[in-house]
Amino acid sequence: MVALARKTLIHEWRRFLPAILAVGFAGLLQLLQAALVLGIFSSASIYVTGSTADLWVGYPGTRSVSLGQPINPDVGMHLRMDPAVARIEPFYWVDGNWRGVHGSGGELVYVTGIDPRPDGLMFSRALPASLRARLVEPDTVIVDRADVGKLGVKVGDTAAINGRRVRVVGVSHGLRALGGVNVVTSIDTARQLTTDPASVDHPTYLLVQLHEGSQADAVARRLRGAPGFGPYDVWTARQFARRSVLYWLLDTGAGAGVVFMAGIVFLVGAVITSQTLMAAVAGSAREYATLNALGVGLRNLRWVVLEQAFWVGALGLLGATVLGLLLLAGARSQDVPVALTAPITLVCMLLAMSLAAVSGLVAMRGLRRADPASLLR
Amino acid sequence: MSAREPRRATPEASPALRAEGIAKAFVSGKVRTQVLEGLSLSIDAGELTLISGPSGCGKSTLLAILSGLQKVDAGRVLALGSDLTALDSHALERFRLRHTGFVFQGFNLFPALNALEQVALPLHYLGLPDRQAQERAMQSLDEVGMTPRIHLRPGELSGGEKQRVAIARALAKHPELLFADEPTSALDAANGQIIIDILHRIARSHGTTVLCVSHDPRLTHHADRMLSMEDGRILSDRRAEPLHHEA
Ligand SMILES: Nc1ncnc2c1ncn2[C@@H]1O[C@H](COP(=O)(O)OP(=O)(O)OP(=O)(O)O)[C@@H](O)[C@H]1O
Ligand SMILES: [Mg+2]
Repeated sequence: MVALARKTLIHEWRRFLPAILAVGFAGLLQLLQAALVLGIFSSASIYVTGSTADLWVGYPGTRSVSLGQPINPDVGMHLRMDPAVARIEPFYWVDGNWRGVHGSGGELVYVTGIDPRPDGLMFSRALPASLRARLVEPDTVIVDRADVGKLGVKVGDTAAINGRRVRVVGVSHGLRALGGVNVVTSIDTARQLTTDPASVDHPTYLLVQLHEGSQADAVARRLRGAPGFGPYDVWTARQFARRSVLYWLLDTGAGAGVVFMAGIVFLVGAVITSQTLMAAVAGSAREYATLNALGVGLRNLRWVVLEQAFWVGALGLLGATVLGLLLLAGARSQDVPVALTAPITLVCMLLAMSLAAVSGLVAMRGLRRADPASLLR
Repeated sequence: MSAREPRRATPEASPALRAEGIAKAFVSGKVRTQVLEGLSLSIDAGELTLISGPSGCGKSTLLAILSGLQKVDAGRVLALGSDLTALDSHALERFRLRHTGFVFQGFNLFPALNALEQVALPLHYLGLPDRQAQERAMQSLDEVGMTPRIHLRPGELSGGEKQRVAIARALAKHPELLFADEPTSALDAANGQIIIDILHRIARSHGTTVLCVSHDPRLTHHADRMLSMEDGRILSDRRAEPLHHEA
């Protein structure tokens, strides 16, 4: 078979270049946008994804980790009776007001009180054991590298949270928070920082480790809603992480923004690509018309155009992938939060290919000019 | 020279093309141009028929109608026994694919394909397997003397060579009907002569019915029959001397 579409694309690459670039840039924009938004909003679930708990127990209806409310610690007794449960660890969340020693600041901070032992579940992935061990000492805190400038402190400095003096003993990586600043401390210190005396003994969450992590769904269902311990709910780590990210995506309108932007990018990309393809088709109209005169059906000619669109899409996507990987690597090295999941990448690729396909369908209209009767004048 | 059999055994066979009272008008805006009116014509198989006449008299339009590229307003066109006026566009495409070849004034070759690919391309759509398409394409290119140039693209060919590739493309399908509209007018004398010789040979050796529109006086020496048109009608119909008719 003579590969007319491919050979034409190679021979007249200059003519097709704008279309390839349009698909490529549209794909790249979608990809980067998705990576950025996911990166930013995945910090809403870093508390869950940075820890090794299988289940999270919290106040019913909690839509994001940062919106937790104290629960009755007795729930833990009920959970412990389930044979699937291996371990339970409390986690305190305290909203605090940070002041530097020189009276600077007034930053809203999210104080997370974790179990600082080496085998603690909370932030077991996000904080190395040596770092968390420093929190055993009372009134010590860890701040994130990304917030050091904002808080105006370095390791060894002191500051005040809710009026109580704390000392910075370490700097973490990748614990950037949404709408505030994460400050990690021990459970004991966090309880000291609580402004509401009623909730000193009430953790915000209970983290549960199971003997068999794979049973998380079933166990969560089983443990949910036992009477007599006050209000509480049980989620698997995966559910709760999802819930937190979705809350931010939807509540901030970022999700709608992403969809809107994706639509615009798609439209602009499709206009450029279809126009370029159409021009290419029109440029070969006489040749197509000759084929049609010789009896090659219009349907076959349409396939040639569609195949061309496919190659344009594939080449654009290839360029976008290479460039995207470079840019993402660059962003990571600069602490810009970016994250990509396989399904999102796939969706972006599908969008780029459907952009090419739509453009090909539009460009088929260029074949109308390929009227063989017009060759006889 | 080739394994090909002439399709029409004798020139006296039933006409390959017959037009019965065809009429065609073009309307652009309020202006209506009656190009053909009540034209009847019969073209014998295996002959090279030449149509000449002043510019705008309707030669190309007649060719387009006889080849099934354009619809008539009235009348009938019978080609190889099928009534073209009764076929829908899909059936017309199929008819053209099986039976007709075209050579235009412009060569209309794909810039990206070499000579061999240009010729093989339509054969694939005829359903020929790759090997066979290649062989037939080579054969056709050989017939027009382009064997040494089969790997060159249009950009690397002269005008005459391009027209020979275009003829090979039409020829490779083994069509019973070959339509040519001013095939030599973009070429110089020497190249024009080569093209004429080739068309002549096609009619003679393959029994192909060749219908050619041309102003070129050199072509008249090769034609079996000369029609001259004016204002959408056929003014004269002359046959060549029997001396030209020998096989
Ligand atoms: N698609 C069309 N729309 C309107 N008018 C047309 C169209 N095609 C042809 N005509 C008109 O029909 C007439 C005959 O055209 P045609 O192309 O058949 O002439 P011709 O004999 O081939 O001339 P030439 O020798 O210059 O090629 C012309 O007056 C032309 O303007
Ligand atoms: Mg003409």
